[in-house]
Amino acid sequence: MDLLASLAYGFTVTLAPANLFACFVGVFVGTLIGVLPGIGPVATMSLLLPVTYAMSSTASIIMMAGVYYGAMYGGSTTSILVNIPGEAASVVTCLDGYQMARQGRAGPALGISAMGSFIAGTLSVLGIMLMAPPLTAVALRFGPPEIFALLLLGFTMVTYLTAGSKLKAVAMALLGLLLGTIGLDPITATPRFIYGSLTLADGLGLVPMIMGLFGISEVLLNIEKGVEREVFDTRIKGLLPTREDWKRSAAPIARGSVLGFFLGILPGIGSIIPTFISYALEKRISKHPERFGTGMIEGVAAPEAANNAATGGAMIPLLTLGIAPNVVMAVLLSAFLIHGVQPGPLLIREHPEIFWGVIASMYVGNVMLLVLNLPLIGLWVQLLRVPYGILFPLILVFCVIGVYSESGNVWDIVVMLGFGGLGYLMKKFEFDPAPMVLAFVLGRMAEESFRQSLLMSRGRFDILLTRPLATTFLIAALTVMVLPVVVPPVKRMLRTVPLEEAD
Amino acid sequence: MRRRDLGAAAVLLVFGLVAVSQARGLKLGSVAAPGPGFFPLGLAIALSLVSLGLLVSAFRTPPGTVPPRADAGGRLKVLGALGALLVYALTLERLGFPLGTFGLLLFFFKVLQRQRWLVAVAGSLATSLTTYLIFKLWLGVNLPAGPWRL
Repeated sequence: MDLLASLAYGFTVTLAPANLFACFVGVFVGTLIGVLPGIGPVATMSLLLPVTYAMSSTASIIMMAGVYYGAMYGGSTTSILVNIPGEAASVVTCLDGYQMARQGRAGPALGISAMGSFIAGTLSVLGIMLMAPPLTAVALRFGPPEIFALLLLGFTMVTYLTAGSKLKAVAMALLGLLLGTIGLDPITATPRFIYGSLTLADGLGLVPMIMGLFGISEVLLNIEKGVEREVFDTRIKGLLPTREDWKRSAAPIARGSVLGFFLGILPGIGSIIPTFISYALEKRISKHPERFGTGMIEGVAAPEAANNAATGGAMIPLLTLGIAPNVVMAVLLSAFLIHGVQPGPLLIREHPEIFWGVIASMYVGNVMLLVLNLPLIGLWVQLLRVPYGILFPLILVFCVIGVYSESGNVWDIVVMLGFGGLGYLMKKFEFDPAPMVLAFVLGRMAEESFRQSLLMSRGRFDILLTRPLATTFLIAALTVMVLPVVVPPVKRMLRTVPLEEAD
Repeated sequence: MRRRDLGAAAVLLVFGLVAVSQARGLKLGSVAAPGPGFFPLGLAIALSLVSLGLLVSAFRTPPGTVPPRADAGGRLKVLGALGALLVYALTLERLGFPLGTFGLLLFFFKVLQRQRWLVAVAGSLATSLTTYLIFKLWLGVNLPAGPWRL
């Protein structure tokens, strides 16, 4: 089969010593920065760009790609062990992963997360190989109404992520959307809510927001509670998940992989949104949805699979269309251009060594990561067992470095601190930050697609109903919204009927 | 009536109303050609309505378990930490990373944790220097050098 021949060719490219080394460096650095909160793949990849001048184009792309998916592996480690997401996409893993660690099950959590990531990563590369052409055909037909309807769906699903008051979650989501409007209007570039500040003109940064809401606020809460931090006095024994764990995780991993892969292809989605949706899905179909958030392994396996699969999916538009679907891919695109290579439909013909070499390297990289992560976990645990009194100032400094390194703007640090304080208050008053963050991320896209849809339809809202794809998403969103209202009364009705019959 | 939720809902409501007033200053456009103010106004109105709903709900739910009051000392520490971080951020470019971080860490070690002077100074020095070296010199992150042009 021609496909196998091309793949074999890719492997010969990848296994060349220079490329193999580049792959290793990429995944190692990726894991490292994934573990460290405060520094992300975007910043790291940008920093590595000058380093790649001296390397071949193939090696450069292989290394950069390695950083990206390596970071997805590493990010879960800090999420599980310290409840601080190493990466924005690992936020969801904190929810159940950290709880598992508190119950002494950090080992299985880390193990399943690594295994799930590996399986998902491998499956997603398979997906790239098999599906690149037809998938891009579908994605090309997405217009603003489809994007808006899909976002609405993601939006409603995330509101149901929250245990606790749905109304509070909606409030948080609305707040996130509002905060997303700060800056320049995407269509007319009118300044909104800027009040003369240049920093705000760019809009609130996602990195300062996430670092503040999840990183800084967590530290503040711990400072208040007092010194004793539960970084697991018990040895992390049993790194290997039990058979029970495997049984429970198999389906979530499969679902997460598929979901993450297909969502990752869509422009603007990135790896954060698939993890949220995957978690919501698992919670919805679980027999014990109320236990999510207390240490359910499905809540770790599925999102971890989703974020790794999404990184694979995100490569498709770049490799086949030359379109960067998210910021990270945009940096990768720059790497291509620096080396004079134009990614897109011609890539596979003009530079098959890059196309297939990168794909093969992703297989190799995933194996390397599995090997790196499992034994090195002991190292990370030692690292994180340092007394909290010494640890938390370091975490704070890393967060500051991470934010500053991205924009060079001191005021972004202030923004982060603001969100740190806000996150602290939110936790005290029982408001969930997750819907706010997601709505913020989605907001710009949602508004653009909303307005563009109205422009297209000249003010008629029924444009959403005349396009089949958009309507499907819309119906799904309405179903999710309506379900909790409809299901309990229906259940009650079903329960009363047999009683009456028994009369 | 739940006091906490009441307070939070009230704050949200105020925020929503302020947002409404601010959004009205922007051009709304028409439904066929929405302007910059269209979306924010809609959102602000929605937020205000939801906050109102939260307010009502807070009135109607019974208090439930009241979490133990955090001691004032803890909250003071949190304020202190935030304040220190704020000062750190604002002086970072003037003082430079090594000096600023040294100061911040010293504050944390000495004031928040009451370590001995020797431990605090040594720890702060070691940490600020090593992080600077790792991030600036090895990883090439652009950190402000401060007055000594390290």
